Amino acid sequence: MSTRPIVAASPEALQIVTFDATMEARIAELLPRYPTRRAAILPLLWLCQERFGWISPGVVRAVAARLGESPAFVEGVVSFYTMYQTAPPARYVLQVCTTISCAWCGGRELVAHLKERLGISFGEKTPDGVFQLVGVQCLGACGQAPVIQINDDYYENLDIAKLDAILDELAGRS
Amino acid sequence: MPKLTIDGHEVEVAAGTNLIEAARAAGVAIPYFCYHPYLTVVGQCRICMVEIAGQPRLALGCATPAADGMVVKVETSERAREAREAVMEFLLANHPLDCPVCDQAGECLLQDHSMREQGSEFATHMTETRRTFPGYERRLIGPHVVQNQNRCIHCSRCIRFTREISGTAALTYKSRGNSTFIDTFDGSAFDDPMSACAADVCPVGALTVREFRFRKRSWKLLSTPSVCPGCSIGCNIFIDHHERVVYRFTPRENPAINATWLCDHGRFLAEPLNEQAYLDPQHRTGGQTIRVGWGEALAGIAAELKDASGLRVVASANLSNEELFLARELFGRHLKGEIAVPVAPGEPRKMRNGKGEWLHATDPHANSAGARRLGLDLVDGEGLSRFLYGGAGLTLILDPGAHPFLASPEALQLLRVGTTVVWARREHPAAHAATWLLPTPSLAGNEGTFTSSAGAVQRFAQAFAAPGTVHRTATGAMSPSCPTIAVPWGPPGEARPLWLTLAALARELGVPPLDLASPADVFALMARKDKAFAGLAWETLGGLQQDESFRERQHVG
Ligand code: SF4
Ligand code: FES
Ligand code: FES
Repeated sequence: MSTRPIVAASPEALQIVTFDATMEARIAELLPRYPTRRAAILPLLWLCQERFGWISPGVVRAVAARLGESPAFVEGVVSFYTMYQTAPPARYVLQVCTTISCAWCGGRELVAHLKERLGISFGEKTPDGVFQLVGVQCLGACGQAPVIQINDDYYENLDIAKLDAILDELAGRS
Repeated sequence: MPKLTIDGHEVEVAAGTNLIEAARAAGVAIPYFCYHPYLTVVGQCRICMVEIAGQPRLALGCATPAADGMVVKVETSERAREAREAVMEFLLANHPLDCPVCDQAGECLLQDHSMREQGSEFATHMTETRRTFPGYERRLIGPHVVQNQNRCIHCSRCIRFTREISGTAALTYKSRGNSTFIDTFDGSAFDDPMSACAADVCPVGALTVREFRFRKRSWKLLSTPSVCPGCSIGCNIFIDHHERVVYRFTPRENPAINATWLCDHGRFLAEPLNEQAYLDPQHRTGGQTIRVGWGEALAGIAAELKDASGLRVVASANLSNEELFLARELFGRHLKGEIAVPVAPGEPRKMRNGKGEWLHATDPHANSAGARRLGLDLVDGEGLSRFLYGGAGLTLILDPGAHPFLASPEALQLLRVGTTVVWARREHPAAHAATWLLPTPSLAGNEGTFTSSAGAVQRFAQAFAAPGTVHRTATGAMSPSCPTIAVPWGPPGEARPLWLTLAALARELGVPPLDLASPADVFALMARKDKAFAGLAWETLGGLQQDESFRERQHVG
């Protein structure tokens, strides 16, 4: 299985005010693709999440400064989307589709099983910091329902046995 | 210039005018919540929908420019009325409907529209319970603004205000859809220098001003047009008052100066106007201070003025043009005294006008420009100290607040040497050094004009009469937990505006041309005698012409 764990929340994220040379190089590549600096806000936040593991207030400040926006504005954008982590995330974020096709094809059972096996509900992390459960809307893969996205990867046509195998494997790696 | 018909009224408006403003000009009120004349148009609330003949869909009054020949129906369109009804149902679905305990009541666009169009006929399809924001019902988000998120109708006016006017972009929407709420970055304080304007633009009671809330129901207030005394920019204000107590300043529209804004510094100068430390003229003789009547005081001072060996007058850049003019004519021209106008350096202030330009000031006085135009000597602290060291038999202090130096031990020593007459309202050490002390009212009890740093001569009106009963705040400070209570202070006092005592002194001294009956008369004489004011007429002075309260503009009803 190829799913990579999320970058552990870096302590840097708390104080970061500017970006290092590597980040700057990637930003320089990014900005020209957009008509205004403001328009690059989503991909830049995405870059930051890859790099720092989550979007801390420090990261928000740095992004705001880089784009010439106010930190309040950037934080507002971050809060609009579920895929930006606004707290240090677990290593594996289980994004379970809760929309109708998946729900009909066994998604509800998967959710119930996950909650029971991990002992957490939506929005929570396991105490060991390995798994985080998030309920999401249609992942656009209804043909392969039920679907769970783990970090950046899709796991499709799932049932409880397959899911358990995946979780065992990921937990073993941690 | 497009000519159009709105609900049967023909109107011609400037190109680019939207339907809301065109209708206003035609005397028809199109309701609006998210639209604000000085903010960008976003078309978010949908309450302004109107029917345009020949167009199948309803149009937004805020986002549709008037066009030649357009026939618009607002009140007369059943479809538009139904659409407004539906929008209200949406907006009220989650609104707490807590008007009886909401301090915005009386100046709430949502309440006004609901009363105007729905009356008691409000129907809803909602069966669910309301969405609420626990913990966000009474949240102090900055030094001056209190948030109640449950009442927010998501018009984004406050956000646009911070982005487009104050420039801090300190407010934002957080989260999304039904859970959207207003917040600052990472819970930081909303300490925008114009923060209270965000509460002004909020059409409902979601953002209210901490200092004002629950102190007075808005419909009890009288609004008197005035000019902010906070700096030389001269923002136009209303003094909102009730029973001789000043409760707040609100912005009065003036596109050239403050559009519809005020900075927090100026706005919160309202409360101190209620302080009135001195109520009767006082005379100090043989180490004793006694209260005297105005007649005795004026006669006594006139006698001092006649006998004085040398006269020095410390005027002030906080005085009106009329007062400065009378002082110059009486003390300078007739009595050959020397006059200085001390000016102190101030904090930098800025204001955004209706064109979006910043106006700047570092001058903390409302009328330095007026003093300069009247040809008076403006001096700094050092100049003032030299002026006082110059010595004179008689020294007049027209406003102890003119310069901080006047409160220094050094100045007080100098004032004690000869005879000193002091005009004062607030507690001040110079008042204790006075041989004669004359009580003056605040800006709210006076009438006159100030000249702004840009040269606009602007009138301020008298909010309540002086002489008369003067009120003093019980606490001297404003706080939501400790509301200011008006208590009569001693017997009915008789603070008199400076211009009035100067006119009376002119009478005592036999200078009839200066014995004038009103600031308007003083202004007329000044306009005749002084090039700087030539051609200006009291009645048409900027400021009072566009007297129409912005709150009327803001309001739908
Ligand atoms: S707080 Fe007031 S001004 Fe801001 S979005 Fe809500 S209703 Fe509009
Ligand atoms: S409903 Fe689950 S992927 Fe579309
Ligand atoms: S949509 Fe026109 S005023 Fe809100």
